[in-house]
Amino acid sequence: MTITIALPSKGRMKDDASAIFEKAGLKIVAVGNERSYRGRVEGLDDVEIAFLSASEISREIGSGSIDFGVTGEDLIREGLSEADARVEFCARLGFGHADVVVAVPEIWLDVDTMADLGDVAADFRARHGRRLAIATKYWRLTQQFFSAQHGIQLYRIVESLGATEGAPASGSADIIVDITSTGSTLKANHLKILSDGIMLRSEACLVRARKAEHAHDPLVAKIIEAVQRAVA
Amino acid sequence: MPLINLPAFAADLLADFERLGTLRVDTPVIQPAEPFLDMAGEDLRRRIFMTESETGKSLCLRPEFTIPVCLRHIETATGTPQRYSYLGEIFRQRREGANEFYQAGIEDLGETDVASADARAIGDAIAILTARLPGKKLNVTLGDQSVFEAVVAACGLPAGWQKRLIHAFGNPAQIDTLLTRLSSPQPVTGLSAEIEALLASGDEATLIAHLDETMEATGYSTNASRSPKEIAARLKEKRALEKTALDGRTLAVLREFLSLNMPLADAPAALFAFAEKSGLTLDGALSRFDARVAALGNAGVDAKTLTYRAAFGRPLDYYTGMVFEIVIEGSPAVLAGGGRFDRLMTLLGAKERIPAVGFALWLDRMEQALARRKGEAAQ
Repeated sequence: MTITIALPSKGRMKDDASAIFEKAGLKIVAVGNERSYRGRVEGLDDVEIAFLSASEISREIGSGSIDFGVTGEDLIREGLSEADARVEFCARLGFGHADVVVAVPEIWLDVDTMADLGDVAADFRARHGRRLAIATKYWRLTQQFFSAQHGIQLYRIVESLGATEGAPASGSADIIVDITSTGSTLKANHLKILSDGIMLRSEACLVRARKAEHAHDPLVAKIIEAVQRAVA
Repeated sequence: MPLINLPAFAADLLADFERLGTLRVDTPVIQPAEPFLDMAGEDLRRRIFMTESETGKSLCLRPEFTIPVCLRHIETATGTPQRYSYLGEIFRQRREGANEFYQAGIEDLGETDVASADARAIGDAIAILTARLPGKKLNVTLGDQSVFEAVVAACGLPAGWQKRLIHAFGNPAQIDTLLTRLSSPQPVTGLSAEIEALLASGDEATLIAHLDETMEATGYSTNASRSPKEIAARLKEKRALEKTALDGRTLAVLREFLSLNMPLADAPAALFAFAEKSGLTLDGALSRFDARVAALGNAGVDAKTLTYRAAFGRPLDYYTGMVFEIVIEGSPAVLAGGGRFDRLMTLLGAKERIPAVGFALWLDRMEQALARRKGEAAQ
């Protein structure tokens, strides 16, 4: 059986992923020219490499059309319902670090925790005639964190696919849920992370689609073990 | 593929509704999604079927009837009191069970005799289920958020805490977390020396002016979202409360209240005894509670057969008072759920306050209960 591994198709993620695979003894070579979207692993004929965008990888791993993928945990958990039942996080790769956080305007001096935010959300409609608006591209993670973990129901999500951190100042939302690695963009936009507002500490992971045929496949076990050893 | 025929007893149900003097209404299956998301919260989004119109308007398949029926009432400017009934399909994404199924129910809008209207809703739901599911033993559970509101008010808790507790009512895990958190002081930290000084001075106007200036300087509008005044007021309140914690006695009183669970017939006396023992004045809430129990008697419902559970509520902010649900003894499936939602009509845009109470019947679960009974009979 051929095993397909999807790797990020560009940028630092691509280089970092290739480096880890090489360290694991799975040297990746492009098929055809350097910018090809297919590759293979030196010495392993039964492995195919597909270079895809990080969000495509999360989708393909959910549908099971690839066996392994390297992508951010945030994209997997946002993209798939019941992620842990559908995929296995085999190894955390130590790059692509980003936290998914709840951030509010710095000037909200009275709001430091999710409990504070819950108070504000509960009162928001009475005071402003509308629900508290959250700008984010992380619908699923936001709903899980707000509703299931903090019992906050009364808010509206405003979809934001870019420059989310600008939404509170521009007035298109009150607060945001977004990824941040250093926090500098949040600071520049006068936003602060709530003290218990880190929803997910994400990084690039080697993820396996849970497929029955993987159970006794030595190649699957070998890939997992090699990558785990490389990052240990 | 499950059949989606009307249940065999649908015609009988409609006859029940007519006999009860209700006005049958139907609403479009395709509804604007906004009111549902606005009332029930963003969590509903995963559980409804949403789409977009060509012009970008969010639409959904009707996930329930209460909001469409209420909106229709407001749009057609029908006078009150008015009792509506409905029977039709609703659509929800569910892990188990079909995604489209039938619901029927009654919404009673504008009846100012609250006790009688509550009793009538409960009585009607019981009567209909008894008629459609003969021989089944029904368990009816009743809760009342307004009693809890009276308890937290009588405990003399700070207004902000009362709001939080009322908001969490009906969600046991959240109430528990909240009570634990309120039991230890919540210091306000991380403020700059300048803000600390302004807070200490008690000069709220200067504090507000300072917040205003900072917002202007950092490119934040002072009226698009939370205003400097709102932030200053809540900050002051937090500071005033930071050394306060829920005392052990009050905590015990609240926990005792939330654990009350008894036949409804015994509840008036038990609530009175609870208030006496805890030294709380709950007169208004208790007399309204007693009036409802009395009205149930007048409506021919035996309060001995109903259960009162003090912690039972629905954590939706438009439910204001009584809630109830009905199951068949030994089964977890809720066949009827209802309650009072006095806040919904104004939230949906009604000009004046319209008291409202209603209930919904889950026809698919009623059918399953009937099928089980036939199965048992065949054996």
